[in-house]
Amino acid sequence: MQIKRPFLCYITADNLCPVEQSEKALEGGARMIQLRNKGASGSDLYDWAVRIRKLCRIHDAIFIVNDRLDVALTANADGVHLGQRDLPAHLARTLLGKEKILGISVSSLAEAEIAVRAGCDYVGLGHIYPTFSKQKTGRPLGTACITEVSQNLSVPVIAIGGITASNAGDVIRAGATGIAVISTVAEAPDPRKATSELIQNMRSCLQ
Amino acid sequence: MTKRTLPRLYMVSNSLERPYPAKELPELVRQLTAQLPVIVQLREKHLDARTLYELTLYLQSLMHDSDSLLFLNERLDITLAAGADGTHFPEKSCPIEKIRTVAPGMLLGKSTHSLQSALSAEEEGADYLIFGPIFDTPLKRRYGSPMGLEKLEKVSRNVSIPVFAIGGITPENTRQCMDHGAYGIAALSIFHVTTNLAVTLENFKIALDQ
Repeated sequence: MQIKRPFLCYITADNLCPVEQSEKALEGGARMIQLRNKGASGSDLYDWAVRIRKLCRIHDAIFIVNDRLDVALTANADGVHLGQRDLPAHLARTLLGKEKILGISVSSLAEAEIAVRAGCDYVGLGHIYPTFSKQKTGRPLGTACITEVSQNLSVPVIAIGGITASNAGDVIRAGATGIAVISTVAEAPDPRKATSELIQNMRSCLQ
Repeated sequence: MTKRTLPRLYMVSNSLERPYPAKELPELVRQLTAQLPVIVQLREKHLDARTLYELTLYLQSLMHDSDSLLFLNERLDITLAAGADGTHFPEKSCPIEKIRTVAPGMLLGKSTHSLQSALSAEEEGADYLIFGPIFDTPLKRRYGSPMGLEKLEKVSRNVSIPVFAIGGITPENTRQCMDHGAYGIAALSIFHVTTNLAVTLENFKIALDQ
């Protein structure tokens, strides 16, 4: 399970069944599922995590949990994704062990370098474009930031925030290894097709 | 592995239900743990994980010289990261035996609201239970009508792990809970409504030691 171009991580949307969403995204070619639901109970998260992990095994994809390292550990996920207000990354690395995957959300090169020193396997860089999926403060980073961070980092950069089929190629050309999406897939009439289109657009700019 | 003796007084924190959370909680914890051994359970669902982790470290520093224990609600990752003593789980949670494989040396407890869930929590390997609500309390009405002392006695008699009674507990009714088989009592509101915390704690201590 490697993070290589063109990589698509699907992050579950709060208002839909995370298991169904994940299945569609995986069928469309997603290489990673991130279970994210800030309002859910630990019990629900655990149940979803166990089911999504199985789906990811079938599709040879990576399964990670957002924020809840406790759920990632008990459900034996492949790793965890942490934001800047979650557990400190170096402690998460200690609890996860060397083999599991640790992703960190960053919004600058400085944050990215700290995340790498703490032992992360990839950074989620964003938000690149305006987005309404998560409540974001601050201005979009734009693609120039992707180039700056990816050129100076030893780990893959996954771009996030407002990425659609029309700009996914730009993000890859700027140096991202892949993309992470919520609404572009979740709100599409056909999430499976939306996922494969995103991947196709990333792939076409590599040729 | 030897487990430390569990204190008999259990305090559940819930800052959302108090007026000045940031100031009050550390001060309350300091006063409680200075006077007698207490289990302090951090139940602050509105806080992000980083804040909760930092708060845990801070409370640990206040409790350093006492026999008190610090538990987190559900977040065993924060318990592990901070080196706290235990994790408490709601009635509906990931199975305790699963949690045990991730955190073998950790004290693990569970809230229960029926004899059946108490029995299954013990079978899953919980180290202790909280059972209630025993008496009527505004905060616990969403869990249904009070269980009463008879159900407490039934649960206590049928499990071999410590049972903490919760729900409307005061120093005055603590003895009744103990007489009905409770190992200790868990409370929240009483520590905030009391006008003299030291006296309330002393009365709890007397009732629990009898």
